Amino acid sequence: MTLALVDPVEWDSIIEQIDIEFGAGVTKRLVGNLVPVTMSRGATRIFYAIPTEWMTIVTELAETPNIQFIGKELGSIEKERFRLSLHILSELAHLTESFIIVSKQGAEAFTYGRSIIKQSVLSVDSSLVRGQRVLVLNKNRECLGIAALSVDASKVNRLGAERLVAKNLVDVGWFIRRLG
Amino acid sequence: MSKKELRQRAKQLAKEHGYLQYMIERYLTLWGEEDTLKFIESCNQPIRTSIRINTLKASANEVLVRLQKKGVTVEKVPWLDFGFYADFDGSSPGALLEHMLGLYFVQGVPSMTTVNVLNPQPGETVLDLAAAPGGKTTHIAQMMENTGKVIAVEQDRQRIISLQSNIIRCGATNTIVLRGDARKLNNLPFEPNKILLDAPCSGEGLIPLDPTRKTSKTMADIRFCATRENEMLEAAVNVLADGGTMVYSTCSIAPEENEYIVDDIVRRYPEMEIVEIAPDFGAPGYIDPYSIKLNESLKQARRFLPHLHGTEGFFICKMKKREGSTT
Repeated sequence: MTLALVDPVEWDSIIEQIDIEFGAGVTKRLVGNLVPVTMSRGATRIFYAIPTEWMTIVTELAETPNIQFIGKELGSIEKERFRLSLHILSELAHLTESFIIVSKQGAEAFTYGRSIIKQSVLSVDSSLVRGQRVLVLNKNRECLGIAALSVDASKVNRLGAERLVAKNLVDVGWFIRRLG
Repeated sequence: MSKKELRQRAKQLAKEHGYLQYMIERYLTLWGEEDTLKFIESCNQPIRTSIRINTLKASANEVLVRLQKKGVTVEKVPWLDFGFYADFDGSSPGALLEHMLGLYFVQGVPSMTTVNVLNPQPGETVLDLAAAPGGKTTHIAQMMENTGKVIAVEQDRQRIISLQSNIIRCGATNTIVLRGDARKLNNLPFEPNKILLDAPCSGEGLIPLDPTRKTSKTMADIRFCATRENEMLEAAVNVLADGGTMVYSTCSIAPEENEYIVDDIVRRYPEMEIVEIAPDFGAPGYIDPYSIKLNESLKQARRFLPHLHGTEGFFICKMKKREGSTT
């Protein structure tokens, strides 16, 4: 894999994707003074944020094909959709209102890769809409992963206990499942 | 004991305890019969599970309270700030939410000790060779408070996946992962202040964790590993900054992979000197294993042995590169 600076147009599109779902200005606060860089792995492009003082070595590292990971992993683009990395979720949880809080039982099921059903939902902002990605938090407000709402949040209360509210996209149990 | 008697006794013990004969012969020569028997016995005992609290994610106190609420009994490892023996009461240490959130890392006491000996500081540039699965990489990042740079080098593609997963899980943001052979470091665009080489080895110290190791490696395997360890250490010496510190470690108990390697390096690279490690754990390194005289300073290295310390077998040696040694 080779490392490159991010194309400004592409970066604007990523900022837009994140900010639309997690709030205006969230990406800027997430990245702070860091510089976004990118690497390609097959059809996937992965984005990282690194300190400005690393830029000098990055220029030299960019010429070596063996770099695999650098700094803070922001996420990846596959099929034009930006997917957030687990690396930044706990930070993001402090910056956004786009989250759903789930019960202990729901949290446990979610970390086993399950989606969220109505009876697990403790709270969700009623302005969130179907299809939107939200962070999944437990009662301690710890981020367990990301889910996509399968219903407008304002309609959640009308659902039966077993009905799907949000589909699991990625969760922290992935660390165990991936490593076996 | 004559050589013939030693061989006969080794053959007998090897058969009795399921080891290869050459291993027991070496233990008898190194330690004598009493300690060899203690070693064999201790290798049948389980090693206590230990964890490192990851202060990049939460305070030690917060994590300990949470674990205790879940029925985990913890006991501090005396010489480690964030290292604890942990009894998970039969449940898997990796299955708790606290583990998934990166609040702790399941890691052997000798492995944690290795990073403590290296003592990385905030703002430094640290090279971690043969870095997967990332226990030491993330520990270094933790001690550096996510500042400076930790460059983790690993050759194996599959192991890089686990390295990256652990970096993400533990919230380390000051790392760079490079895929490559730790014996070929000449094109690095930085001079590390500190290097950790926990070298791939024969794993002879891991018998308590993996009993198949009693029969899985021959003397030829140990020689093969020793050659590779020598090459890796030499490459590391060449890139270490003047005045820099290096820690060499293995999970092997074989002097051929430990003291012999360091002895050879300090003989060939006079700018490298073995420096003292606080003697609050383990036992001194050997200076005349199998009656071969080695550098006296090797007694400043430390060894963990199952029958003496209740851990897996491990070797740790700290070296320093003298200032002004590069012309």
